[in-house]
Amino acid sequence: MAEAENVVRLRGVTKAFGRQEAVSDLEFDLPAGTITGLLGPNGSGKTTTIRMILGILMPDRGTVAVFGQRPGRQSRTRAGYLPEERGLYRKMKVLDQLVFFGRIRGMARQQAAERAREWLRRLGLGDREEARADELSRGMQQKVQFIATVLHDPDLLVLDEPFSGLDPINQDVLERIVLEYHQRGATILLSTHLMDQAERICQRVCLISGSRKVLDGDLAEIKRRERSGVVAIAFEGPDSWLSGPGVHEVMRTNGGARVVLEEGADPGALLTRGLAAGARFRRFEVLEPRLHELFLRHAGSGERRRTGGKG
Amino acid sequence: MTSPGGAIRAVIRREYLQRVRTRSFFASTVGFPLLLLALVAVPAFLTARSAEAGPDLVLVDRTGVLEEAVGLRLLDLGLQVSHGDPAASVEALMEEVVEAGGGTALVLDAETLARGRAVYLSREPPNALRRFGLRHAVAQAALEVWVAEDDRRDELQALVAGGELEVRSLEADEEGELRRATGLALGAAGAFFLYFILLIYGAIVLRSVMEEKMGRIVEIIVSSMRPSELMLGKILGVGAVGLTQLMIWLVLAGSLLAWGLPFVMAHLPETQLLVDPGAILPGPGVFVYFVVSFVLGYFLYSGLFAAVGAMCTTEEEAQQLQIPVVLLVVVPVLFLMPVIEDPGSGMARTLSLVPFFAPILMFARVVVGGAASWEVALSVALMVGALGAVAWVAGRIYRVGILMQGKRPSLGELWRWIRA
Repeated sequence: MAEAENVVRLRGVTKAFGRQEAVSDLEFDLPAGTITGLLGPNGSGKTTTIRMILGILMPDRGTVAVFGQRPGRQSRTRAGYLPEERGLYRKMKVLDQLVFFGRIRGMARQQAAERAREWLRRLGLGDREEARADELSRGMQQKVQFIATVLHDPDLLVLDEPFSGLDPINQDVLERIVLEYHQRGATILLSTHLMDQAERICQRVCLISGSRKVLDGDLAEIKRRERSGVVAIAFEGPDSWLSGPGVHEVMRTNGGARVVLEEGADPGALLTRGLAAGARFRRFEVLEPRLHELFLRHAGSGERRRTGGKG
Repeated sequence: MTSPGGAIRAVIRREYLQRVRTRSFFASTVGFPLLLLALVAVPAFLTARSAEAGPDLVLVDRTGVLEEAVGLRLLDLGLQVSHGDPAASVEALMEEVVEAGGGTALVLDAETLARGRAVYLSREPPNALRRFGLRHAVAQAALEVWVAEDDRRDELQALVAGGELEVRSLEADEEGELRRATGLALGAAGAFFLYFILLIYGAIVLRSVMEEKMGRIVEIIVSSMRPSELMLGKILGVGAVGLTQLMIWLVLAGSLLAWGLPFVMAHLPETQLLVDPGAILPGPGVFVYFVVSFVLGYFLYSGLFAAVGAMCTTEEEAQQLQIPVVLLVVVPVLFLMPVIEDPGSGMARTLSLVPFFAPILMFARVVVGGAASWEVALSVALMVGALGAVAWVAGRIYRVGILMQGKRPSLGELWRWIRA
């Protein structure tokens, strides 16, 4: 099938609830076959954005295109969605639930049952298909929810905080499956708070804050662009020079500090200021910024522009 | 392109199987009729058994002319009759037959022939049905003796048999008083029954919506199908459960009337004097209209209950918010008795056309026999029209409500949901 270059494409998308704008004039693309991290503080509009991509909500203004069309029946059956708030029918048997979720996405009963059994075996739940959901541990329930998301082999995978509440071992299991889907050519949108994980998995990031996009693009490229952004310092002597013009945030470490500079600020100016103040340096290193630091730098600026959110 | 049909069918199937497979469905489907049956049949059966096992009745005829006529009628009542010595005194009979023999005796004398008065001797006083049967047998036999001596005995025979009432009223009423009396009971019982199952199945839809909302399941589902499709599937699925249960009940009730009633009447012969089964059994039209009333009423109310379920986030909220909808079901029940007693009144006609009251009140009027067919047709049309409006409003509230967590909406917000 001929595919649009961008599996998801948002242009000028705005959505308000009452007087409160949850998403303002948002634009971004998910190129086919990429993993994109949708990052942002709580209440920044991530979930609203995701819901519009899936056709659960309609934008007030702007256009959302999924597989080149407005979200509708076809895009629905080609997408797999794992919401942040998710649950199962408590009294329903695991296999029955999975078949149900497969059926509402257009799978045949037989096919849904076969694939569900396969997945349950793979995730170590092969002996639990007849168990009711409320007889499973929380971790097991989350695996079942994940299976429900990928059962119909979606081309677009939208995962809202997929790893929250999982123990490290299961996080690892799911992470590997996400990467496997990526290798098979699926397009993946992942919203998460776990910056280390996003940094490891995502090729692209879209950072939104206070209902607006503040940063968007290829992660490696962003990091190159933002290179002079973070300085690791070890020193003795006075420390008042650490804060000042060009410094976004200071994190004190044992015997030193990690300084996040504002965009375009010169690290040399910081060094000069320290020397002038009488600090004795043992280390002064300009680092490639971690995603977490990018997040802090840019999310902060978004928050300053517009405080509040939907909560 | 995939069609929405598959997804809706999947929802219907899930709702249906998840409910029909439960123990509580089985218990209520089988248990409820069994309970009703027990309430009716056990006393009847016990009475029948005591009558069957009852000792002989000694018939003492001092008139010399009544023995055969009374004896035959007593046999019809299922009594074992033996004939006693006309010379025996009441005291002697009491001692020998009742006290020693454990039996009963009926003494006929000149008073019987003159005034229909007889003396019944027994250990315990007889029940009302037995009293009626005995009196009826004695009086009819005495009348027969009188009539046999009269020139006009053929005409009088009809009077002895109990006479006949031909009803002429402005509105057609060929059914007679007895049918009307049982119609009142049947209309009230059927309307109450409708009231209960409409409330019960409305509550099931409400719970089902809340389960998906509070269990955070609904967001996964509406990423795959439209909320209106989910709501439709849910209502159809739960409705199919209701219809299944109703059909089982109707079949049980039908077989009970077809086989159970003759059984009871065979064992309680006195009832044959009171009841003509053909006159009290409702026709098939009543059953059909009952199902129609349930289906239309269920669709009307379940949409409202689904909307309420979508608005709530806690049990307490659900308790409060469903009150207005429950009131809509309760109001027609408050007017049920006046409507049944005077089904042709202006109030009855008006109220039974209101779509939300019609499932209960129009059904009652149909059973009692006061509804013209154009009124029934109009009421069905109005219900179908209201159904469209309810589906539209409820669908809009549902669509927004199922994704809203936190506090319940104010009236103003609700209005925005509907307009959005």
